Amino acid sequence: MSIRTWYLTHKWSSLVCTAFLLMLCITGLPLIFHEEIEQLSGVVEAPAMAEGTPNASMDAVAEAARQQRPQDVIRFMFWEQDEHPNVTLVSMAKSMDASPDDSNIVLIDSRTAKVLDEPPPDHGFMYVMLKLHIDMFAGLPGMLFLGLMGLLFAVAIISGIVLYHPFMRRLDFGTVRREKQARLKWLDIHNLLGVATLVWALVVGITGTINTLSQIVIMVWQADQMAEMIAPYKGLPPPVKLGSLQDSIDTAKQAVPDMHVSFVAFPGSMFSSPHHYTVFLKGNTPVTSRLLRPALIDAQTAKLTDTREMPWYVKTLLLSQPLHFGDYGGLPLKIIWALLDLVTIVVLVSGLYLWIKRRQHTEQRIADLEHKHAATARGGVR
Amino acid sequence: MNKRFIDIWGWPIVLSLLTVFGLLSALLGTGIWHWLSWVAMALPLVVMGCYWRKAKVMESSSRRR
Repeated sequence: MSIRTWYLTHKWSSLVCTAFLLMLCITGLPLIFHEEIEQLSGVVEAPAMAEGTPNASMDAVAEAARQQRPQDVIRFMFWEQDEHPNVTLVSMAKSMDASPDDSNIVLIDSRTAKVLDEPPPDHGFMYVMLKLHIDMFAGLPGMLFLGLMGLLFAVAIISGIVLYHPFMRRLDFGTVRREKQARLKWLDIHNLLGVATLVWALVVGITGTINTLSQIVIMVWQADQMAEMIAPYKGLPPPVKLGSLQDSIDTAKQAVPDMHVSFVAFPGSMFSSPHHYTVFLKGNTPVTSRLLRPALIDAQTAKLTDTREMPWYVKTLLLSQPLHFGDYGGLPLKIIWALLDLVTIVVLVSGLYLWIKRRQHTEQRIADLEHKHAATARGGVR
Repeated sequence: MNKRFIDIWGWPIVLSLLTVFGLLSALLGTGIWHWLSWVAMALPLVVMGCYWRKAKVMESSSRRR
């Protein structure tokens, strides 16, 4: 491809995605620190008790949640030992197939099965940031659209890398020509910041696009591996009376002894079948703690139906999440994430500025470069 | 004067490798690997800051002349 083609690729891919990328960078900034912000705004904690106090039966915990919200069903139960020690989070809704936005969380002390809190659904600042960032309040189409913008961002970065070479042929790395026109200064800053952050921007962009496919990935998994595992139950009526949740969790722990329970999807919910508690377990290392493993437990008998490793496409999704969120290396990594996010904003705005200002000048420069490039190429042949 | 490939790409390659290392070391390791990750990820930011500053100093000194 000629320099001109690369330049046009860079220009158009950037122009289309810049406004959305700016929105993503700005809304993403507070989301990097969502855990810290939630901590500051006050979360209910389980009271201190003697070390090693055993947990109550999860059947009692589920019962406490049902009494708290008698009109609702339990869809999920999950545990975040680092963020909420000794707390069982119960996600409830009007029905199994209600929208995820209509969920209510009940926090229950895992040891006493007492309800700690029932925070009202969050519709504040962080909720708006999150919704804008994920799908711009436009559901799956909005999400997939932002995924496309992420792809265009990757195209803009790659074409930008190709263009870096001819632009830097006569300049030392990091040269910022401040004494000349403002346009040259911002071109140099755009090139410097763009090339220094290219790997991070590519990784966060592409993993962001992968995350937009999460609903589709889950649907594929349900139609593929989940369907295989629950094939023996096909056509059977859903159970009327459920067996013990605690026994089901114990069965899962026995079946996968080297991992611990992360969350349980109740029968009929999105991540389960009508006949099973699906217990998702996670490992202890930074990587295996991201790679959930489902164990399907018959909800009537509390016996193991099947447990399998996730297929490659779910693993890709699960591993692309930390690389997008930057939440896997403590607070210092989050601060670095935020700084790189700010640098990306400068790259986006300077790119926009360069396009608005002196469009003709750039055209002229490209023509010159192409001319020179052709001359060098001819010289090289000889 | 035209530059050789390594003159143009030396720094970008170093910064890219640092970033790749930093992204993976915090994901695959704990403890010391987190520290190494923070250093490796911070270095490109430091380099950007240095060159931005350098240009500012040069600008003000050329103005004085």
